[in-house]
Amino acid sequence: MGRYILRRLLSVIPTLIGVTLIIFLFQRIIPGDPAVAMLGEHATEENVARIREQFGLDRPAFLDRDALADGDLAGFFDSQYIRYFNRLIQLDLGESIHRRIPVAETLKERFPATIELSLLSMFLALLIGIPVGIASASRRNSALDGITMVGSLVGVSMPIFWLGIMEIMLFSVLLKWLPAGSRLSTGIEITSITGLLLFDSLLTLNFEGFIDALQHIILPAVALATIPTAIITRMTRSSMLDVLQEDYIRTATAKGLSERTVLFRHALKNAFLPVITVIGIQAGILLAGAVLTETIFSWPGIGKWVYDAILGRDYPIVQGVTLLIALIFLLVNLLVDLSYAVLDPRISYD
Amino acid sequence: MTEMNNNPGEIQDFAVREHRSLWLDAWRRLKANRTAMIGLIVVLIFLLSAVIAHFFWEYEPKMDLDYSAKLLAPQLRVSEESSKIHLFGTDKLGRDIFRRTVHGGWNSLRVGLVAVSISLVIGGILGLLAGFFESIEMYFWESLALMAILGLALGVLPAWIANQIFQVLLFAALGVASVIVDKTTLPKLTRRVLFGGLGLIIGGFSGLLVAPLVGLICGIVGLIIGVLLSLPVGGRPFSNIVMRIMDVIFSFPSYLLAIAIVAFLGPGLEKGMIAIGIVGIPVYARLARSAVLSVSQKEYVLASQAVGESHGRMLFRHIVPNILSPIIVQATMGLANAILSAAALGFLGLGAIPPEPEWGAMLGDSYKYLSSGAWWAVLFPGLAIMLSVLGFNLLGDGLRDALDPKLRI
Repeated sequence: MGRYILRRLLSVIPTLIGVTLIIFLFQRIIPGDPAVAMLGEHATEENVARIREQFGLDRPAFLDRDALADGDLAGFFDSQYIRYFNRLIQLDLGESIHRRIPVAETLKERFPATIELSLLSMFLALLIGIPVGIASASRRNSALDGITMVGSLVGVSMPIFWLGIMEIMLFSVLLKWLPAGSRLSTGIEITSITGLLLFDSLLTLNFEGFIDALQHIILPAVALATIPTAIITRMTRSSMLDVLQEDYIRTATAKGLSERTVLFRHALKNAFLPVITVIGIQAGILLAGAVLTETIFSWPGIGKWVYDAILGRDYPIVQGVTLLIALIFLLVNLLVDLSYAVLDPRISYD
Repeated sequence: MTEMNNNPGEIQDFAVREHRSLWLDAWRRLKANRTAMIGLIVVLIFLLSAVIAHFFWEYEPKMDLDYSAKLLAPQLRVSEESSKIHLFGTDKLGRDIFRRTVHGGWNSLRVGLVAVSISLVIGGILGLLAGFFESIEMYFWESLALMAILGLALGVLPAWIANQIFQVLLFAALGVASVIVDKTTLPKLTRRVLFGGLGLIIGGFSGLLVAPLVGLICGIVGLIIGVLLSLPVGGRPFSNIVMRIMDVIFSFPSYLLAIAIVAFLGPGLEKGMIAIGIVGIPVYARLARSAVLSVSQKEYVLASQAVGESHGRMLFRHIVPNILSPIIVQATMGLANAILSAAALGFLGLGAIPPEPEWGAMLGDSYKYLSSGAWWAVLFPGLAIMLSVLGFNLLGDGLRDALDPKLRI
């Protein structure tokens, strides 16, 4: 198994390089001169020159053959991509064009908000999806099962940005029950420890803050949780249905075990593997979905930030956030693969 | 049945049944599936209304403006406020939302269809070839072509460095040579040394004509290429290369990549189609490859191989028809996803350029005056997205059940 883990870890490296290559190529597909495109039509010569210098746009994209012909080996490798890669290794994601603040710094500041939203959404999705999936599988073709199947299809088909807008329309504009936008009401403060407001407010026993943060997060979290909930429900149901047809389930039932024991001790454990894969895939999709959800709810995370950056053509931010989300997506899928090795001893990896 | 009643003494042979094609069978099962039929009807309503509206119901988005009728709630009857009927109400510019929703369908569905076609054609062909050559041995000339292309592709690097196009051809020739020499038996190590040396000579000497350092670098690169080309590769490395590239695209959450691509390309419906199409390629490549792999060991493929059918005939007569059903199901579901992604792009202002009607863009527009309480401006375009996506999902689900050969009696 050790060898499998090592091999799986090594297999990430080419993919990683490919990912950086794609993100690097983004700035090459900007129509026209990237430096001018980044700064706008009316940029001063000096600013354009600064950007060209800063991004190395005066260098060739991958390798400099002219430098090599002149006998300059170091110059040969001094290209835009290699510079970009070197900066990435030093965790330097470049600077925001408009505000001239390092992207990595703002990322660190804004990421907890996105993480909090995504974690709560995933929590909601698991809290609803798994029990409903199990119940619906154990009562196949019942009314509950029918409602679950239709409901989950509607959920998968839901444009989450529309759901978010409808939530605001209903609960904030028409009913005025819940606030829409930002993480906290003005005047409420929570001492920051982890950056996750719900968690921090509980740690500091700030219940007023906790309630306020909860009121703010609940609408976006529900919107973001819709699709994962639907998918996890469907997957749990179909995986449970497969397992429930196995001989050992019939044996367990024949032995006279209660339905509860059969479902939770015998079936669930075996049905869980495909569900974990889906959870892993959903984790990445949640982060990507944050772009839409955060935009609608003015949630101060990386999603809203990247939306503003797209409108303002602040390309380094778009690149940085895309890279971060792709990395997390890769990492989560790696963990899912590795968890297989631990969870299912039948699978041999050597 | 009637025949049996007429001749009660005759025994019917149930083994001899009227021939029914797979597709007819599938259609009968689909017809019996209520939810799938609902999906089909929803999809047809959207498709027909969009096409009919586009060709027979004139609409000029640039001229559509009427401030006197702005933000009217839906009404079914003519009132004193407005002399026209607005089934879905009007938006901030006094435009009839019903009209824009129906016309928006043309744009939204078109993006979905074109995007899925792009991913289906490119991904499908790549996956098909990868799976086919992974499981079935190449002909001599196919292997020749593959090695020539491989030599050509690898040769680009040293040729570019030394700025000598002819190097590409030399490396291609090296690849071809590797297939031809295959006929004689040389030990592995000898081959590696021989071809590595040839590569070193090709790259090194050509490079030396430019500058000593260029000669050194090109020589090293040429040596590596020579060693790589020393043994003719089968279909497996080809499949590996294709699938690794697919993995890279797949390692982005799909519509985030589409958003990023369009963010850099600039907004526009066509760019959205291309971005969503590219992002979908790996799905079909993986699906087609795994389907081909599972089919290519079946008896009928082995039989056609044994009687010496050509590879083209094997692919198109025996393999493609048998992997079609999972791909059709995926394409139907993929349409649903593509419409969702297109709407997301439109909502973010990266899709259709206003005032062109498109569901996502309409939502993004009405979102800006949410506080006015005009719920109809938000409700109807979103409902159109959801229902059309749901329609395709229901249909896809039904198709999966209908086309599942395991259920076929």
